[in-house]
Amino acid sequence: MRRTVSRVVSLGLMLALIFTVASCSDAKKQSKDVELSMFQLKVEIKDAIDGYAAKYSEATPGVTLKVETLGGGGDYGGALKAKSQAGQMPDIFVIEGLGGYNIWKDYIADLSGEPWVKDTDLAMKVDGKVVGFPVAIEGYGLAYNADILAKAGIDPATLTTRAAYEKAFALLASKKAELGIDAPVSMAASVAGGMWWVAAQHNLACYWGGGLAFDDTSIIDKALKGELDQARFAQYAKYLQLLFKYADQNILLNGSYDDQVGAFAQGKTAFLHQGNWVDPNLKQLGVTFKIGYAPHAFLDTEEKGLYLFAPSWYCVNSKSPNAAAAKAFLTAMATTPDGHDYMVNKAGMIPAFKSVTLKPAGQLSQALMAANAKGGNYGVFFGMLPDGAGQNVFGPIFDLFAQNQKNIDRFIDDMNKAVAGLPKM
Amino acid sequence: MRRNRAVNILFTFPCVFAFTMIILIPFFYGLFYSMTDWNGVSNDIHFVGFGNFRYLFSSPDFLYSFLITIAYTAINIVFVNVVSFMLSLIVTSKIRFKNFYRAGFFIPYLIGGIVLGYIWQFIFNNALVAIGDSLSIQSLQVSFLSRPGTVIWIMSAVNTWQYAGYIMLIYVASIQSIPASLMEAAAVDGANYITRVLHILIPMMANAFTISLFLTLTTSFKQFDMNLTLTNGGPATRFLGTPVKASQLLAMNIFSTATANRMAEAQAKAVVLFIALVVVSLIQVSINKKKEVEM
Repeated sequence: MRRTVSRVVSLGLMLALIFTVASCSDAKKQSKDVELSMFQLKVEIKDAIDGYAAKYSEATPGVTLKVETLGGGGDYGGALKAKSQAGQMPDIFVIEGLGGYNIWKDYIADLSGEPWVKDTDLAMKVDGKVVGFPVAIEGYGLAYNADILAKAGIDPATLTTRAAYEKAFALLASKKAELGIDAPVSMAASVAGGMWWVAAQHNLACYWGGGLAFDDTSIIDKALKGELDQARFAQYAKYLQLLFKYADQNILLNGSYDDQVGAFAQGKTAFLHQGNWVDPNLKQLGVTFKIGYAPHAFLDTEEKGLYLFAPSWYCVNSKSPNAAAAKAFLTAMATTPDGHDYMVNKAGMIPAFKSVTLKPAGQLSQALMAANAKGGNYGVFFGMLPDGAGQNVFGPIFDLFAQNQKNIDRFIDDMNKAVAGLPKM
Repeated sequence: MRRNRAVNILFTFPCVFAFTMIILIPFFYGLFYSMTDWNGVSNDIHFVGFGNFRYLFSSPDFLYSFLITIAYTAINIVFVNVVSFMLSLIVTSKIRFKNFYRAGFFIPYLIGGIVLGYIWQFIFNNALVAIGDSLSIQSLQVSFLSRPGTVIWIMSAVNTWQYAGYIMLIYVASIQSIPASLMEAAAVDGANYITRVLHILIPMMANAFTISLFLTLTTSFKQFDMNLTLTNGGPATRFLGTPVKASQLLAMNIFSTATANRMAEAQAKAVVLFIALVVVSLIQVSINKKKEVEM
């Protein structure tokens, strides 16, 4: 009898425990204030955006903004999917291009009516509707160490054709010991180092958009139908071959991001194939020499522009009851002095809004801003490719070309095949 | 017995519940999703039958990953088991400091695969290359990890370094459970050391081989963390005329498919991995079981 009692008691206790645990997770905080949630992926601006969120929450009665950051090596897309499946979709989230739009389109609110739309060229638009707030302008050319070029007697302003680059690289290579450099260029293409994106995404973007009008997508439209422009691609392949030939081979074939940027920062190479996001890294590495951007001039004809793009966009969750408050936050970021101060001075980004007058501190960011003001730049369209095309298809092709640099026909052949497969992806 | 049924159910409930929630249900969901065009978010799911599977077996990167995983597993089974068997013979012999060696050989297993991958990546990409540069040894100047032909062997060597200590413990336990009288009797009869190992030790240890081979087989087949940090799938190589990643094992192939938002395709690959693993393990265990000796 006693046994039965103790069994019943323990059963009851166990069930009680289960129900407490279950009901705990159900309890919701009841408050009339709006609690906005934002989920973003730029690790480098985490402190800046947390600070701005706190400031905004304080200045805006009734709104508390919480920012969560996951990026760098983290799988942002996977985490966002987990959140949406768990019914905790944030009010503001990030997409990185058309691929992201297609996945999340059910959740993306129409932002066409927002006041900041006419202040920017880089809002994400789909079928004429504005769907994304540009996080920043990023961009790249071929960054150069002005001191080394001056010592070697090269004027960076002359680097506007492939022939000019060929001459400059050869000159630098012949004066390696005198200039104290290991190689003319710090370039990365290795799948192993996780650097496929430098070659197979950013460099390949020269082929998609270089030398064309800023919004001319004809070349990539053609590729999405499975075709390469043979004459143009042959010129591009020669330029890539040139970069590979004069690159530090160890960095090219298995270097990491740190190896690639570090070599340039230590003055071991004259050129660096990276965008303005390396500014904080260069500062951290104590770079004092003067840096500028030369264009990726891969054509036989002259090219003078840099490559500018918005790497990601903030989207507002259309299914959230807080959508209006989320839109108001984005508007504040784009239009108030506090917002401008956050974007430029705190986060060190180049805002995509023309009304911002503040200047970023980094040398490469300043070079980009100057180029943006001058105009004549090129668009970056790799975001239009199917998901995984860069990493899983083009990445190995570029890595293989870096291993067998003489075999340019094979590379062109591989790319033709890969592009022909794009419509099926 | 019947009186205990309520208690049995009560005590197995947490395990059964957890097993159902995190293994069984996701597994059947996975089977279902592998036959759809699900992208991870959309509720608009279309059934595509075996379309994903047909696509897999025509895509060179998956076929390559499949074959290279089999090759890696084969190399690994031999390396790990030979090395750990040798180690177990050493640490059960009469040498001094054998407990120190036991602990020493086991320590790499305690380092996580991620950390270990980065450590060895540094050794291969930086340390060895720097030695090669300063001593002008040409064969060291190009990292072993950037050679498509050697990269699988290097991965196997690193995995052996990590895993041999663990398998060694299984062998040690098995050797210690063999009655000393058997070995002594053989020694008295004039059998030398090698004969004793071959004809007494190994047959008596057959059940340890079953479990060790099974463990190395399944862990090699599912290898992911060290693969990601040590080689990241690189370098590229050519397979069936298409550039593919030379060291991308199956698990990593599935991972990079999934991170490219091709969820249903990744799920189909995972189903293939599961089936392959089940088939290979069943064959291996049933063969090994026949060789076991009952005491």
